[in-house]
Amino acid sequence: MPARRILLIACLSVAGCAHPRVGAPGGPGGPGAPGQVEVPEDKCLLSTGSVATHTVTVTIGLTDAVDPRHAPLGRNDAERIVFRHLYETPVRIDCDGHAVPELFDQWTKDDAGRRWTFRLRDGAQFWDGAPVTAQDVVFGRGGIGYTLSAPPPAPDTRAVTVTLAKETNDVPIVLGDRSLTVTKSAPDTSWPIGTGRFWATSGTTTAQEIRAHSPQGDTIVFKFATSGDARDLLDAGVDLLVTRDRALRDYGATLQNRTVVALPWDRTYVFVSGSAEATRFDAGGLEQAVHAEARRAEGDFWWRDLRACGIARDTAPPAPTTKRILYARADQAGRELAGRLAALTHAVATGRAPDDFSAALAGGKDWGYVVALPRVTADACRSARDLLPSWPATFTALVDTRATAIVRRGVARWTVDQDGTVHLAP
Amino acid sequence: MSFRTRLLISFGVVVLIPLLVFGLGIRSAMSRRVTGEYERRVSALVDVIRGDIARENDRSATRLAALRGSLVGDSKFRAMVLRGEDSAYVLDYASDAMRLAGLGYLQIQDDEGRVVSSGHFRNEFGRLGPAIPPGGPTLVRGTAAEGAFLALVTSDTLSVARKPFRLVGGIVVDSAFVQRLARDPELGVGLRLPRDSTAADSAALIVGDVTLPYVDAADGPGSVEQGRIVVTRSAALLTALQRNVNLWFAAAVLVAALAALLLAGWLSTRISTPVEARIAIGDLARQVNHDIKNGLAPLRNVFRHLAQVAREQPGDLPRVFTERHGTVESSINYLETLAANYAKLSPQSERKATDVNAVVRETIGGSSAVRAKLAEGLPPVSADALVLRRVIENLVSNAVDSLDGKNGTVTVTTERGKGMVRIAVSDTGRGMTKTELDRAFNDFYTTKLGGTGLGLSIVRRLVLDSNGSLSVDTEPGKGSTFIVEIPAQ
Repeated sequence: MPARRILLIACLSVAGCAHPRVGAPGGPGGPGAPGQVEVPEDKCLLSTGSVATHTVTVTIGLTDAVDPRHAPLGRNDAERIVFRHLYETPVRIDCDGHAVPELFDQWTKDDAGRRWTFRLRDGAQFWDGAPVTAQDVVFGRGGIGYTLSAPPPAPDTRAVTVTLAKETNDVPIVLGDRSLTVTKSAPDTSWPIGTGRFWATSGTTTAQEIRAHSPQGDTIVFKFATSGDARDLLDAGVDLLVTRDRALRDYGATLQNRTVVALPWDRTYVFVSGSAEATRFDAGGLEQAVHAEARRAEGDFWWRDLRACGIARDTAPPAPTTKRILYARADQAGRELAGRLAALTHAVATGRAPDDFSAALAGGKDWGYVVALPRVTADACRSARDLLPSWPATFTALVDTRATAIVRRGVARWTVDQDGTVHLAP
Repeated sequence: MSFRTRLLISFGVVVLIPLLVFGLGIRSAMSRRVTGEYERRVSALVDVIRGDIARENDRSATRLAALRGSLVGDSKFRAMVLRGEDSAYVLDYASDAMRLAGLGYLQIQDDEGRVVSSGHFRNEFGRLGPAIPPGGPTLVRGTAAEGAFLALVTSDTLSVARKPFRLVGGIVVDSAFVQRLARDPELGVGLRLPRDSTAADSAALIVGDVTLPYVDAADGPGSVEQGRIVVTRSAALLTALQRNVNLWFAAAVLVAALAALLLAGWLSTRISTPVEARIAIGDLARQVNHDIKNGLAPLRNVFRHLAQVAREQPGDLPRVFTERHGTVESSINYLETLAANYAKLSPQSERKATDVNAVVRETIGGSSAVRAKLAEGLPPVSADALVLRRVIENLVSNAVDSLDGKNGTVTVTTERGKGMVRIAVSDTGRGMTKTELDRAFNDFYTTKLGGTGLGLSIVRRLVLDSNGSLSVDTEPGKGSTFIVEIPAQ
């Protein structure tokens, strides 16, 4: 390989994972601005060796189902990977928790960090060619602790103002929340129209694969494990496979030209119960109970202090008549943890379909629930509203889990976000 | 009760009682036979269940022995025992082994009885497993994540790196397993376990059982109790069978009884008609005898009177004859009318306006023993004069007889009542007790020597036929008064 090409690729890699930096007060800044790229930190890049050639088609294996109707908020690892490649948020939160440019590439702060003005990147447009405007970002969006608006009096169609309830010197990471993903509905397809580099339609979607194309001619092929055995995907030569199954991970490690990379701890399993009795499972061997890679849950969990969100939890559900622990049926680790808790407490574990599980959790009529929560979130209030019950509950963190990426060496550069989602580096 | 009725009842009893005894005997014999057959089938099924359980236990023991050999030679397991390495391998070991061995329950327990690896419930590691007795099969209520289940298990022991372990394995006892044990379609098989309220089935009778050690390990190691695999038969089936037998038995009894009654009826008709005819003729003869005697009595009195006059005062004979001529004529007329009525066999009384006083006078004639107190101006009554005479004659005759030849009086009184005429015949005779009075109007009841016992019954019938009423006022030792009331015209 020519030395110049390797050097060029290295430089591009560094640039792709660069952290945004706030510009000088009162002036434009950000790494998107030409000539202002700082020395990159590539700790979010997966270490898969040098990218030897430019690949126009990348293949990603998926072990879960993908439903376009869920876009842009993924419900499982497969949907999160696919949606990450198709849709964009105003900024992206990298594995270190820093905001990096995505739809917005420049920003300034005012009012001691209480008001931030972001500018859409040049050429930002939907898949159908329509330019993305500030109204597309602002309309119908907002949350607790911040508001989005287009600057008056003559709205700049490319500028968005974010007003915070509390000043901050760092770019507000709430702009990386998936709920702020910019999309618009498409009447002739099940996929919402996004702004990402890759696009997909119902015409490129089959039961076996989803093909996503870019205007530059690049293609990502998302392949499903239709045989029921995900090892077939590895044998078929996919370039990336993300899994939480240790057996699959071990199999991937035996293959040549594959690198197995542990991803960040991204998920915490929590036991949610309305029972007044303190429930601790310190000596319960919970990490051994799951087949996924797990550790004792640790950290400053975002759900511990939600006072700023103003969520009232004062209506207790009726006391359960049976000692039953519910889990989401499709979640293997959840099932295993529920079984372990059942063994420790002489309860019964029962699986529910995802929607039924969410409804049961909201009702709070059972003795306990094993819930998978993101370890970190860009918008704790939105996550609390969407994922946590509204009744007074005790949250007992059980284990943290993480996925593993099995990557073909030297094919493409992969990076990982704070939420554990792997995607092609920009 | 008529002769025919008595005959029918007697015949029915004679036929039905043996029939009932016969039917009950058959029913009892059938019941014994069916019960015996059931007991033989139950006993055979119990033996089959014991055999099945023993075979399943042998199979499980063979598989555990194979697992024991594999486990003893497993270096990873040994490394875990010695150095605690690769606990995940050990946790998953029983799960894989259980599937490969075709078992539904498998635990590897350490020397304390704690679960090191569980095939049916991977995440019950660390819990105390069931302490089952060595050797034979044991029913265990184990747990999985989704709840409790029942298994038929046996155990084996092994030693790895000088540490003892125990294998507990077997098959799941579910409804399909129990169903397989029930080979007889008319007999059910079920489980009866301590504290298992769901097993209660009131519709089934337990007719046999196989007892097994039972350990409830759902909430801990448990203790050895006794469980039963029971053979049941449906109480509903037995009830239906008994109902059918009873139904057919009742039908047979009814048919036989009906046939017996019809036969009895036919026979009684053949037998009883001549007998009843003879009885009726006898009744008629007594009636005729009585009536003729009543008609002859005045004639005999007149004749004796005339004979007495002819013997003692011959000169007065024409005068006395003239005086008693009416009585003779009247008695002859009475007898002629009586004869005419009997000739008709069904005499029809002829009601017309009748002077009661005239009939009384005519009846008592010149009898010195009978006094008459007749009211003046009585309205005529609507009655047959002959019937009225028979009534008065009978009552007067009875009253005279009640004097028993002693001094006393017999008085016939007439008086006007409200819309009727009352005739009272009183005597100062011996009177009647209540018992005598109750029976006085029955046919053939009499206190007189040579009496027919028909007089008062005829009187009552004749009075009622005339739309009148008859009452009695009597007191023992003081006499009786018979009161006849006939509607005035």
